[in-house]
Amino acid sequence: MDKEKIISIKSKFLIEITKAQSEKELYDIKVKYAGRNGELTKILKNLKNLPAEKRKEIGPLANQARQVIEKTYEKRRKELGSQIDWEKEKIDVTIPGEKASRGSLHPITLVYREIEKIFSSMGFEVVEGPELETDWYNFTSLNFPLDHPARDMQDTFWIKSPKEKMVLRTHTSPVQVRYMEKQKPPFRIIVPGRVYRNEATDAAHEHTLHQFEALVVGDDINVGHFKYIAKEFFSAFFGKNINIRLRPSFFPFTEPSFEFDISCTVCGGKKCPSCKNSGWLEIGGAGMVNQNVFVSAGYLRNRYQGFAWGFGIERLAMMKYKIDDIRWFESGDLRFIKQF
Amino acid sequence: MKYSYTWLKELSGTKKSPKQLAELLTMRSFEFENIKTEGKETQLEFSILPNRGHDALSHIGMAREICALERRKFSQTSPFHLETKFPSGMEVKITDKKLCPRYIGAVLENIKVTASPKWMQERLVVCGIKPINNIVDITNYVMLEAGQPLHAFDAKKIYQIPDTKYQILIRRAKKNEEIKLLDEKIYKLTENNLVIADFKKALALAGVMGGFESSINSKTTSIILESANFNSTSIRKTRALHSIITESSHRFERDIDPNLAETAMARAIILIKEIGGKNIEVTALSDVYPKKAKPWQIKLDTNYANSLLGEKIPISKMKNILENLGIKLLGNLVSKLNVEVPTYRIDLKTQEDLIEEIGRIYGYENIKEQAPCVEIKTPPQNAKRDFENKLRDILVGLGFSEVMNYSFYGAEDVAKCNLKIEDHIEVANPLSSEQQYLRRNLISGLLKNIRLNLKNFSEVQIFEIGEKFCNDKEKFSEIPLLVGALANDDAKKSPFFKLKGMFQELLQKTGIRNAEYKALNEEYKFWHPTRAAQIIINGKKIGRIGEISPIVLKNYGIKRRVAVFGLKIEELIKIGAQDKQYNSISKFPTVERDISMFVGKETKYADIVSNIQKNGGNLVKNVELFDVFEKEGEKSLALRIKIGSNSKTLTSGEIDAVMEKIVSSLEKNLKVKVRK
Repeated sequence: MDKEKIISIKSKFLIEITKAQSEKELYDIKVKYAGRNGELTKILKNLKNLPAEKRKEIGPLANQARQVIEKTYEKRRKELGSQIDWEKEKIDVTIPGEKASRGSLHPITLVYREIEKIFSSMGFEVVEGPELETDWYNFTSLNFPLDHPARDMQDTFWIKSPKEKMVLRTHTSPVQVRYMEKQKPPFRIIVPGRVYRNEATDAAHEHTLHQFEALVVGDDINVGHFKYIAKEFFSAFFGKNINIRLRPSFFPFTEPSFEFDISCTVCGGKKCPSCKNSGWLEIGGAGMVNQNVFVSAGYLRNRYQGFAWGFGIERLAMMKYKIDDIRWFESGDLRFIKQF
Repeated sequence: MKYSYTWLKELSGTKKSPKQLAELLTMRSFEFENIKTEGKETQLEFSILPNRGHDALSHIGMAREICALERRKFSQTSPFHLETKFPSGMEVKITDKKLCPRYIGAVLENIKVTASPKWMQERLVVCGIKPINNIVDITNYVMLEAGQPLHAFDAKKIYQIPDTKYQILIRRAKKNEEIKLLDEKIYKLTENNLVIADFKKALALAGVMGGFESSINSKTTSIILESANFNSTSIRKTRALHSIITESSHRFERDIDPNLAETAMARAIILIKEIGGKNIEVTALSDVYPKKAKPWQIKLDTNYANSLLGEKIPISKMKNILENLGIKLLGNLVSKLNVEVPTYRIDLKTQEDLIEEIGRIYGYENIKEQAPCVEIKTPPQNAKRDFENKLRDILVGLGFSEVMNYSFYGAEDVAKCNLKIEDHIEVANPLSSEQQYLRRNLISGLLKNIRLNLKNFSEVQIFEIGEKFCNDKEKFSEIPLLVGALANDDAKKSPFFKLKGMFQELLQKTGIRNAEYKALNEEYKFWHPTRAAQIIINGKKIGRIGEISPIVLKNYGIKRRVAVFGLKIEELIKIGAQDKQYNSISKFPTVERDISMFVGKETKYADIVSNIQKNGGNLVKNVELFDVFEKEGEKSLALRIKIGSNSKTLTSGEIDAVMEKIVSSLEKNLKVKVRK
């Protein structure tokens, strides 16, 4: 009788279990037959009361049924668990993502970082100085004679000052003397910073600008070294081979002085509208440090040689990002800044 | 300056086309600006460097330059000199010899003023100068040729001493002395201005512009011709004071060789005689030249020249370059050259000046690039700049965008922000009244940015790193600041806590974990008096955080609430990041218990938290605020406290005991009503 009952339990379980549609239903069915009070459990519990011969016959049968129930249950549970209605899950993946709050760095910061990275890799130290400067550091120490037309080359914002004559620095070069007063050559530094020129603004002119200056001083630094470092820098900055061209110029703090041009970044020197068909782009000024500047800083005359060069960050940023109006930089307009 | 190509060609003998000449000069001397062809004439414009005005602002100077570039010597066919036998019916008196190193005056009679010849007019026109009459045109022609400005006075308009002598005085103007110049404007002079005068009155503003009264006209029959040398600084100051720039002042303020005055005078007399007719006579001439300019010597170390240029230029080549510029070689000792510089090259004073001449004429493109031999070492880091960059990266990650604003603002901004004018540094020559002062805060700039950007964005979140400028009782300082601002998309909601949350994150990320916030509770500048705090770290005030006063926002036309934080960057660097240290994570479970309470309006959250921490001891793992509301003047706070032990699993009895201790202390010490 038990034998038949076991077979019937097994078959009933197998039929019911195929109908179960959720893990809960499945579990309930299992409990009904094989749970603590399940039909099969009762039989198993009763085994010990059966005579030995009967127990030998029923025992393996009941255990085998329990294994079948467990195994089938597990198998079915897994099947049910991985059955998902994919259609119901479906979403339109082309809908845009939720807006994440995103800030942008100023393009001037981005260009500064790139420049500093290149120079740092060449072993240059980054040095800064004040924007509010004395006449001495901005002009006189840099060999600008008093009341000399050279002072007109840089339209200056003068400060109403009760004591010393003060200006908003017109270039980053005052840092040359400030640094050399404290350090002895050899050294190589770069000076980033804000500078001011007293001129009306338009698409190409700003009174507030950002500059960059490099100064290398040692026993035998020469024009060829300058050409080499300028070429290295611009080639790294623009990611292609750039040539350097020097033309004569005049700056009180360098002698000889140069204007330096780089081969056009658009046409590579083949002449195009970007370089006004010259093949070259005017970038900045440079020269061999005037011995009078070394003397201002407290060095002996003709003890050292060095070069200095500077250029505007805005111009590089405008070339790099194709910005057409210099006034965007200080506009504070997020429609501009958020593009970077 | 605008040059005539044919004139340059005539003087220099160059065979180059205008374009070739432009290219050559650009690479070796002066930047080419423009080319224009008018009839048979071609105009070439170059921008002459400020240190070369004294020789290159002339066709002779430029021709000499062209010859040197073409590796040959310049030879002037007939250098002009004054005869010495002129009668002396004229007296020249220079009262300040510093301001006028040389003055040559000549009286010419039997003049007939007409138009100058066509060839001369054409040359003037191509050089951008309007022909007027033969006398004036000749003075201009000689200036263009030699670089020496000349002036002609109508002799009849000049006071003549009864014994028929002319007396010319070169003196400082009297205070408030007036003169009508050629531009027909009346100028009020100062004692710093130099004038040319007769016994009675000023005739011309020396070196700048002639007087109207004594100018040449069609009735002029005799003239006094002036060829003089004036101090460059004095001319510069005078022309700047009266804002007059003339061809003459432009040259004099660049310093001119006083020896040129003689050549130019001789040349002008020849031309006047040639053009004006045979009857013209020089009836008097006087040359006052107390301190004659002489050539000077420079010793040039050719090894140094090559070391500075980075080339191996042979000595013979250097000599050649210098000689073609008109520099005399006096001899050499092995590698050291001793040279004599002619007086017309005032700019050549040091051996570096000569090295520049050698370098540019040798050709900078011929100098090879070479890697410098330098010690390989890692450069010292710039802590400030690195820190600023770290701040920038964190802020951008938190959703802030970086702006850069001008360092200037106007009195209006000072007033709008409740600041004081006397605390500001003033620009002496501002571009406009809106840019008259240096900013003493970055906030007014950010408020303007917010107003602008709210037109296009519902929420504005910006920061700036920049300098503020302080004038504290005439003590000037410049302080780098970081200022961040947030304007919500909701006009009613306070942006304070959102900003504060981001600010705390910023501090956390920079490694600063012990900031305290002390309520401001007073009207201070642009801050909201009851919604702002001082930020204190290790007892040091490093900045402020809070809302901007609604009155200030109204001043700026902003209809939202705005919260701002400002920090002194250098103070923050001094505090430095605290070293990060790992705290062991407990293996035992923690439980969360919530308490809600009513507190008085003045009760501070910071006090509640420290009370809980004090009473709960190290079993309190964390306290978090999850709800705040106000009802009938009472503030309700809901806190979630995490409780656990590092050494065992707490029983519910133990947890209850801690909670009870916390609650009873809150009720007793802070008078809060805990809702049970």
